[in-house]
Amino acid sequence: MKPDHQKTSGRAIKERLITGIWFFCAIFAVIAVSFILFFLLYNGYPALAQTGLWDFLFGGTWNPVSSPPQFGVLPLTVGTVLVTFGALLIAVPLGIGSAIFIAELAPPKLKAFVKPAIEILAGIPSVVYGFFGLIVLTDWLRVTFDVPSGSSWLAGSILLGIMALPTIVSVAEDAISAVPNEFREASLALGGTKWQTISRTVIPSALSGITAAVILGVGRAIGETMAVMMVAGNAAIIPSPLWNVLSPIRTLTATLGIEMGEVGTGTPHYFALFGVALVLLVITLVVNFCATIILGSIRRSQTGGGGGRHLVSFKQKERIISIITWVIGAVLVTVSVLIGGFMAGALFLAIIALVIFSKEKLSPRYAQFLAFSILTALVMTVIFILGVILYDIISKGIPAISWQFLTQAPSDLGRAGGIFPAIVGTLYLVAGAILIALPIGIGAAIYLTEYTREGRLTSIIRTGVDLLNGTPSIVFGLFGLAFLVLFIGFGISLIAGQITLALMVLPTIIRTTEEALRSVPQTLREGSLALGATRWQTIRRVVMPPAIPGIITGTILSIGRAAGETAPILFTAAVFSKRFLPSSLFEPVMALPYHLFVLATNVPGSATNKYGTALVLLLLVIGIYSVAIAIRHHYGKMTHG
Amino acid sequence: MRSLTIAIAALLVFSLLIAGCVGNTGAGKPGPVVTGSEKLSIKVSGSTTVLPIAQQAAEKFMASHINADIQVSAGGSGVGIQNIGDKTVDIGMSSRELKTEEIAKYPELVPTKIAYDGMAIIVHPSNTISSITIAQVRDIYAGNVTNWKSIGGPDKTIVVIGRDSTSGTRDFFTTSIMGSVPYVKTQQELNSNGAIQQAVSQTPGAIGYVGLGYLSGVKALPVNVNGTTIEPTVGNVLSGKYPLSRPLYMITNGQPSGLARQFIDYILSPEGQGIVRSTDYVPLP
Repeated sequence: MKPDHQKTSGRAIKERLITGIWFFCAIFAVIAVSFILFFLLYNGYPALAQTGLWDFLFGGTWNPVSSPPQFGVLPLTVGTVLVTFGALLIAVPLGIGSAIFIAELAPPKLKAFVKPAIEILAGIPSVVYGFFGLIVLTDWLRVTFDVPSGSSWLAGSILLGIMALPTIVSVAEDAISAVPNEFREASLALGGTKWQTISRTVIPSALSGITAAVILGVGRAIGETMAVMMVAGNAAIIPSPLWNVLSPIRTLTATLGIEMGEVGTGTPHYFALFGVALVLLVITLVVNFCATIILGSIRRSQTGGGGGRHLVSFKQKERIISIITWVIGAVLVTVSVLIGGFMAGALFLAIIALVIFSKEKLSPRYAQFLAFSILTALVMTVIFILGVILYDIISKGIPAISWQFLTQAPSDLGRAGGIFPAIVGTLYLVAGAILIALPIGIGAAIYLTEYTREGRLTSIIRTGVDLLNGTPSIVFGLFGLAFLVLFIGFGISLIAGQITLALMVLPTIIRTTEEALRSVPQTLREGSLALGATRWQTIRRVVMPPAIPGIITGTILSIGRAAGETAPILFTAAVFSKRFLPSSLFEPVMALPYHLFVLATNVPGSATNKYGTALVLLLLVIGIYSVAIAIRHHYGKMTHG
Repeated sequence: MRSLTIAIAALLVFSLLIAGCVGNTGAGKPGPVVTGSEKLSIKVSGSTTVLPIAQQAAEKFMASHINADIQVSAGGSGVGIQNIGDKTVDIGMSSRELKTEEIAKYPELVPTKIAYDGMAIIVHPSNTISSITIAQVRDIYAGNVTNWKSIGGPDKTIVVIGRDSTSGTRDFFTTSIMGSVPYVKTQQELNSNGAIQQAVSQTPGAIGYVGLGYLSGVKALPVNVNGTTIEPTVGNVLSGKYPLSRPLYMITNGQPSGLARQFIDYILSPEGQGIVRSTDYVPLP
């Protein structure tokens, strides 16, 4: 009797300890966000007090250098909302269409090509997107629409749309793939076509994951700084008329990005910029709050619930799907107009009109053919965009690549010599960030999915994670500077950059891990627990293994982001030149994206090495991806037999 | 779980291996590091405009001082001043004077003038206009002139491109050209010389202003002063004929000392001022 009892209590203590660790991981995000919020409030308050809350929020003029200075953020807020909206209009149809294509239609070989291809989009650093946008996109818009300047709302939205794509595709695809095969088999057995199965069974079942994908995409779009400020023109005006997509526009992040570096410390302008960051954070809070409500109601309606009342009735669902179809059509028309001129657009319009016209009489097989054609067209658009960007970088970067370039330190301001210390620095930064974020992120996800019921605590933690996800990278950079570099006293150092980057990628890891854990059927857990396994044993042996591919996807996305970001390391870790490689965590490092940023913006005549650096950064990320993708592929094979 | 651990370990080991196996070869600098003697390092951060001078000077300086490690980074003048004020760096770079608030917050700061930066008015190479007066530039940036035709150029809408409101370059543009005249609200704002150069070089109707090192691919307009047109060149700034130039600073917390002092002295030396000239900035008179 006695040993048995001891064993049980030992297990109980172990269980409690493990629960405690996961709880700390989960609460960590909340602590981080509170710190950031407090810090923004503390610094932003003087501006709000001086200008007055109403004038600050709804003042129509942002002119910090007039006398007296005018700090009205309304044009900036409108700019952020419009650019993000436009980006979603592009990214959501393309992203979800591609996700459906990859998960349901693509033969395995094609899937093995398309999925990593889209993930590579996530690895392209935002500085590269920015310069690609400035050189190729804005010029093309200027010529196509015959306007004086292509730097516009449209340019910003297109660029941000592309940048949000990989996030949406990856997460949505995982969600769709996670729908149990029994659902599909049941639908097909009832005589449904493949398209009917997808549109009526698979997509509604995956709706919570798809919504999560879109929210992550919004987070990415709202928070982007470096790219959008290079192509949107940054005039602090509200477009007139409001739908004038060719008007220059300025976002909240761009304001921080272009003004924060030079602003005088302690000036009213300095405090006003923290006010801007605060407004930005509140907007993400509102977006996430709305999303949480939507997500919650979808989950409730899916599980049925005791009352049997569905928030979205079947008819409404039909309507939602038809609206989505409309939006996809509109985007396809726009895209084809942009690419192939008005004739192509008219052709597409005619096809779509035909579809609408004949919808009632359309046979299911014909509908399926059309739907699949549209999905294929969406994927091809995405691959085309990827191709254009990659071609631009590779064709201009190849001439710079040589053994010397990879193994030497830069000289003559980076125009000559190589980028070796920057490669090493980036690897150090990314490895450190993942090392910090991965255990905490997985721990938090385990706590959220396995150890608690949905309640006030989980909703606080979730809000914290959502907020952290929506926090723009530039705000992380400012926080890192004020808290880690100055307050804790790390100085500009490797460790400060690693922690800042870890905070930035943490929500992605938590979200994707959570989604992966959630997709493991509840029956497996019940089975394991019924056999007498403890909670931790169940998680370790039963829940985790099938969730690994999803976790790896999250990690891949995080590595791509951490390697390519400039803003968070700008003030915390990076130096443009350093003679010796860092020998401790408290020394600063060179980093590829920062090196690229300085070359691109401040070193004239460095075009070759600039593209060379971009290419190396890209190849580095692709290299890390390939390893991760191979690992995922391996597990995919194992779990599917 | 074990498989997860292996997966993570594989990822990390992969990246660490790359970093690790190359980590001991030094920064690729040929100079032998003398063992026993102390490695000296200073951090320099701040204005992106001053960065090219600091970086070039650091490379030359380190070539003759094998134990010196001068780490240069750019975040902007404000960041540089904040960093040096909080002593997280040893030298701050600034393309503008200290603001009243900054002097009040960091009374110990000592700025040292190291060079001048000339500012050129640039347009697209296809623009047929041959010179411009300060008043015309002001009218364009105020939004009073909106087509090149009105000042003798082609029939094209003017796209007004300027620097961000905190930039030292913009600050200087405002005081030397605009005075109290407000900018047109549709002015596009970019945050670096390089970005302005790029945007102007591919926008036929554009006008912008940059430092003298950023003139490739664009047309730098001679400025018409009282009837004589003056090319924006380092020589014309030095001789005082060209009107648009401003000082650049290196800032220390207290009087410069140690390696920081050696480095600033090096930039002020004839050799250092030669570097200033060769990077398209204007040496001290």
